Amino acid sequence: MSSSHFVPVQWLPKTNWKTAGLLVPSLLLCSAVSAGPKRQEQHFKVAAHPVITIHNPNGLITVKAWTKSEVMVISTPASDRIEVDAEQMGNRVDVSTRELSDSVAPDDMRADFQINVPEDAELQIHNDAGSVSVANVLGDMNVETVAAGVDLEDAAGYLSVKTVGGSFTCIRCTGRIEASSISGNFRLLDLRSYHVWAQTSSGNILFNGEFLPNGTYSLKNYSGVIELRFSPGDSFDLSATSLKGKVNNEAKLTPSPHQRHFMPRWGNALFGTFNEGRAKIEMTSFDGTINILKRD
Amino acid sequence: MATITCRDFLAYLEPWMEGERPPDAQAHVRTCSHCSGVIKDLEAIHTEAGSWNASEQDAPERVWTALRAQLEQEGLIHDTIPAGEGRTRAAAPSAGWFAGLFPRLPRPVLAGAYLAALVAVAFALSGPVNKRVNEARWLKGTQISTSPLSAQLNFAEQNSNSYVSRSSPVVAASLHQNLAIVDNYIALCEKSVSEDPQNEVARDYLYEAYQQKADLLTQMTERGENVQ
Repeated sequence: MSSSHFVPVQWLPKTNWKTAGLLVPSLLLCSAVSAGPKRQEQHFKVAAHPVITIHNPNGLITVKAWTKSEVMVISTPASDRIEVDAEQMGNRVDVSTRELSDSVAPDDMRADFQINVPEDAELQIHNDAGSVSVANVLGDMNVETVAAGVDLEDAAGYLSVKTVGGSFTCIRCTGRIEASSISGNFRLLDLRSYHVWAQTSSGNILFNGEFLPNGTYSLKNYSGVIELRFSPGDSFDLSATSLKGKVNNEAKLTPSPHQRHFMPRWGNALFGTFNEGRAKIEMTSFDGTINILKRD
Repeated sequence: MATITCRDFLAYLEPWMEGERPPDAQAHVRTCSHCSGVIKDLEAIHTEAGSWNASEQDAPERVWTALRAQLEQEGLIHDTIPAGEGRTRAAAPSAGWFAGLFPRLPRPVLAGAYLAALVAVAFALSGPVNKRVNEARWLKGTQISTSPLSAQLNFAEQNSNSYVSRSSPVVAASLHQNLAIVDNYIALCEKSVSEDPQNEVARDYLYEAYQQKADLLTQMTERGENVQ
């Protein structure tokens, strides 16, 4: 029994209560921290073109390229009921989140990752909710999410992104890009890609990038806005059709010398060539608006 | 050699995928781009499906019973059940030519393949029928090809919903919300097709909306299985 029980409350100095008031939460906090999930850091030596797979139900995944021939995985599980497995098999590193018991609540199935990989790494990422952010990775990439947004910067290779509701932003990407979603918005900025295929149902699509010679650019949605920005020096063949919506155009198009377009029987459509028509652009919408606008 | 039609060729689909290719069926595939397209799609599904992970758990037996019953009802596959065996066993993917197509696949993945195949077959076969008939028949042709799909997808949706309820609230909400979006597009496209049955663009969008719904339901089922 503590001696304090023998001391009348009114005799205790006020400062002692203040101290106790501060001490108890601190102790509780310390015990909570010590029993809680732990940040984990793992390193894997890899050869050229390693493959890194990440399977996570929910969380923030940040992947950055570095110059080392090594993969570093820093993981922070949200709960001590789950753990992160990271293992190497040859030149492949597999990272996954798994539950430690059968009774883990869906909200506890969350882990955040900070991962560094060599520039030439190939990535395969599944993350249902949260976000995925990748920068400076030049290898092929496959990202699948449900609600998580996907941000790629300075990526190359074959980039395949599939979300259900998550947004997709690609900045300064140079690879082949294929993206699909149901309600996610797409922002494709400062691209230098030969092949872009982007399809979202109710999301908006913004394309503001270069049109490379012989490049193909296909942008499609059901509703929402598809916006394409062009400069006076760009060169492309354009086809824009909205079945029930509008097509607004600021480009001075001439009839295409490469192929004869027939005006469609349905919807609003625009066909033509801008400058030499070196790239091919196809924009299609069901009842959305298509804007072809001069770059600011 | 007797000439067969696209509808006749349906009866040859199952043996075809098992390697039996009678001369009249071969002749039809050589000349019919739609049926050769269906064959290519099924072979592509087979190839793609073979690379998928086989470690997942089974979907409820009723899913297979209903899927098989629907495919049989539409004449897309034949019942290969020996006389003494029950429907439930026959409904499993271990029976029929689909078993040969997808020998190592988990059932949720197979469910997606079935749905995708159903969508592809239905639309591929609706083409040649519709092209040579008047507007009313265009509409009827579209309805014939989409009605069973709609029913099948609605059934699959009910199962998917029960799976998704075990996912995290954020994921479940997103899946449900996006399913509603796709359903809305299906309704809009169906309305457009009924207003202008020969509108190929609307029909293409309708086809894609169904495909999208099949993909999403597959994803929902797989997510649910992974959570289990």
